[in-house]
Amino acid sequence: MNMREPQRHNVVSQSLAQIGASGLFLLTLLAAIPRSMRYFRETVRQLWFVGAMSLTIIMVCGLFVGMVLMLQLYHVLSIFGGTSASGMVVALSVYRELGPVVTALLFAGRAGTAVTAEIGLMRATDQIDAMEMMAVDPIAYVATPRFLAGLIAMPLLCCVFCAMAVFGGHLVGVTWLGIDNGTFWSNMTAVVDVRTDIVNGVLLKSLAFGAVVSLIAVFQGFTTPPTSEGVAYATTRTVVASSIAILALDFVLTAFLM
Amino acid sequence: MSQQRSSYAVGTGLFIVLGFAALAYLATQTSSVANVRQGDSYTVDAQFTNIGQLKERAPVKIAGVRVGQVQSITLQPGHDVADVKLSIDKNYNAIPQDSVATIFTSGLLGDQYVGIEYGSAKQAVAAGGTLARTKSTQPLEEMLGKFFGAGGVVDNVGGSYVVKADFSNVGSLSAGAPVKMAGVVIGNVVSVHADPVKLNAQVVLAIDKRYNAIPDDSAAAVFTSGLIGTQYVAIQPGGSPDVLKDGDEMILTQSAMQLEDLIGKFLVNGSSDKKDAGDGKSDTPAGKH
Repeated sequence: MNMREPQRHNVVSQSLAQIGASGLFLLTLLAAIPRSMRYFRETVRQLWFVGAMSLTIIMVCGLFVGMVLMLQLYHVLSIFGGTSASGMVVALSVYRELGPVVTALLFAGRAGTAVTAEIGLMRATDQIDAMEMMAVDPIAYVATPRFLAGLIAMPLLCCVFCAMAVFGGHLVGVTWLGIDNGTFWSNMTAVVDVRTDIVNGVLLKSLAFGAVVSLIAVFQGFTTPPTSEGVAYATTRTVVASSIAILALDFVLTAFLM
Repeated sequence: MSQQRSSYAVGTGLFIVLGFAALAYLATQTSSVANVRQGDSYTVDAQFTNIGQLKERAPVKIAGVRVGQVQSITLQPGHDVADVKLSIDKNYNAIPQDSVATIFTSGLLGDQYVGIEYGSAKQAVAAGGTLARTKSTQPLEEMLGKFFGAGGVVDNVGGSYVVKADFSNVGSLSAGAPVKMAGVVIGNVVSVHADPVKLNAQVVLAIDKRYNAIPDDSAAAVFTSGLIGTQYVAIQPGGSPDVLKDGDEMILTQSAMQLEDLIGKFLVNGSSDKKDAGDGKSDTPAGKH
């Protein structure tokens, strides 16, 4: 089960090979889902690691994104006397774009790199090979639980992020800048739609980003050259590839969903 | 090991609960679902000739308090009025039958809502009934049009004669701007230049030869069409038996208004209903020209 690709020097063919290999890897992961049910506790442990442990950074970042967004909007909208709309704009921009994208970028940095490094070190220290020798399927035991955990954790983290951003916007707008509390909420509730903004924006986007980031993280970990340099390189590639994939996918999803 | 595992499970469970709580919060507190949360309601129809920017789910208010929302807005084919279904909370079921439904705008740029002003009828409007008395939204252009008396389409100007007029301030009037009488274009501005001696603006107007019976004590005023429209010269006919001839100078002029002045006057004079009262004053631009 050698997934290491021969070294290619052309950037284009290398990227194409990576995309193709990760696509095949995704199929392997999905096919291993029934088998990985045996290791359900491992999935829960990974969910704790990538989800619950990421809560702090997600909550703090969400709070500050909401606060700075409100601060910026207030100063722009006060030119037009439209400061009462700022709560609504904070909610819409966070739900539709910033929430899923920033959460996914943070998730790639916080959890994706850890997953890549962990799996890469498992490979470098021959733990993966040892599992195979013990007739434990490394895909079902190592890869799929981490992939599923990322898939489940991302939408939940994104919801927390969005809620914190709205809270941050409320904190700055209402408590500090003096926007009326009722205006803040009524403008927001008048415009935010459950289907287009929360289901399509928050949930679907973050689900897609969760799948992409987890896939890239697990794939990079599994295909890393089993050296310390290779692990370092794979970790970097996880962040770079995830960021590009998130932002490109965001454009595509926005075009389709909005 | 099992101790550690159970702590994972608890932490993960807490995380999942928190995530779903956040989702529930987003979906119910910050979205339109929060507005749907109303008890039993009944619907009332109202017909408007112009709904402006009114949208479905816009609030319905009595005395400024939200009592329901706009359920649907439809236009029957062949009709020229919009059918608006209002969904009103059951608690407010004593709305007199002759109440007036009006489309208001919250603020200058705000969203529109339906306001219900109580009538005096003993009988309350029934569920599914109709509020017959409605007041439609007033397009801003119409209000400004009443206010400024602007309008008219530019004609081709045939043979013309030239009249001069001095203004202390022409605003942004430029050559080529229309000259209007009673709102109809009768000529155009040939040139605008500052007089080096009198220190005012001298405007040369070319007026169509067909309009050769304009009294020579008529007044020329610089007005603006619409709030941000172009400026034009309006001629308000006087009562003199003598008429303006080529090369004459108009004595009575009224300079361009500054927007700040206009808004100030508008606020002082109140709505356009009171325009008749202001018509007599020469400095009030609310009348027809």
